[in-house]
Amino acid sequence: MPEFTGGAIGGDLLAAVPFGDIVNYITPLTATLFAVALIFTVFAIISRPEKQLDIVFGTDAVYAKEVTPDELKFRRFMAVACGIATLGAMVSGDIFNFTLFVSLIGITIIGIVAAVKNQHVLNAAFQYGIVAMTATVPLFAGAAITLATTGTLSIWELSAGTGVPLIAKLLLLLGVMGEGIAPFYAAKTELFRAPGAPYVILIHVSSLLMFLRVIEILLAV
Amino acid sequence: MNEYTIGLAVAFTGIAVAFLALARERDDLHRLLLTDLAEILALAVIALVGTDLAEALILPGLVVGISELMALSEIYLKKERLYDEPTERVHFEVMDTAPGILGAVLVVYGVVLAGFSGGAVAGLGVLFWFLCKGHREQFELLETVSGYAWAAWIGAFLVFMLLPQYWFFAVMVAGTAVLVKVMTKMSLLGTMRGGQDA
Repeated sequence: MPEFTGGAIGGDLLAAVPFGDIVNYITPLTATLFAVALIFTVFAIISRPEKQLDIVFGTDAVYAKEVTPDELKFRRFMAVACGIATLGAMVSGDIFNFTLFVSLIGITIIGIVAAVKNQHVLNAAFQYGIVAMTATVPLFAGAAITLATTGTLSIWELSAGTGVPLIAKLLLLLGVMGEGIAPFYAAKTELFRAPGAPYVILIHVSSLLMFLRVIEILLAV
Repeated sequence: MNEYTIGLAVAFTGIAVAFLALARERDDLHRLLLTDLAEILALAVIALVGTDLAEALILPGLVVGISELMALSEIYLKKERLYDEPTERVHFEVMDTAPGILGAVLVVYGVVLAGFSGGAVAGLGVLFWFLCKGHREQFELLETVSGYAWAAWIGAFLVFMLLPQYWFFAVMVAGTAVLVKVMTKMSLLGTMRGGQDA
């Protein structure tokens, strides 16, 4: 196993978790990110969904939006899957595994949102899905170019200074930006015009953690 | 300029064209199709590396692409309220006479090939058969078979890790399981036509 030299931003190596030749690593940074993802995954498992109230404009009446058990089960499953994918992306010691986990996060975010049977929400989910799907192109292209120029995808070996081309790094970043764009749809509110807590929180948390991790990877390789 | 650079240039030209089309297209269905085009070009970029590792990376890339495409198609159906099954389907006479023979030939040939490519060929046979015949009751059966195949596959990997001296047995189990799994995966596509059980 090569010497660990990726500690520039992540801190010293705490532990290595080998699966064959894929070696996940835990540094203070990735351990923190892992813990945050774990906490929010547990939240998604144990908490009950909120019931959103809509005020009828100009009157005292309110609508209560009910969450059906089917929808609840599906969204909780997707939220937990999203949490697990985030956990994997946080400790992955291999660029391709990281990209796969990131695209898995993208898919599960689509799932969390798309369970809501509401025209606006489905429209927004579709548009986000198109972005997430096209984002896998730069994501995988970045990993493939890294593999072609350096001959490896292991962050252990890449961090020894094999010289990952700048274009591969930029493509990787672009891909993560595309997959993690969901919180920006909050500005369009359609994505969130539905009873969503606590599952929508996982969309934000996973996107945030994804960005923090990709920065660590890009500075390490 | 080596071959890899030329290939990369061609692939990225294709990606640029796909993204340009995607930016100009306004119809949602066509945009969905165009994203699939972009996905395939991403696979081309991976394939350009041309090593065993690249081959191992194409499969997960393909799975991610297909699963996203299927999720988005489902959202599109919901979004456009396309619930009804079409009453008139494409129907040729060959679809009444050929499925048995063609399906059998493809499945047998797939079993001979074995492994992943064999699974794809055999799956194509089963897919064709389901496409031409009925599909209602087979859905859950296929899911069950696929689940057992997956479990056998994982079991084979555990044998690799824990009891490496029995590697030949594990190779056989993993090969068969992957064949069955890819086959059922593909035939699931043949059963998907919207409606209640899709």
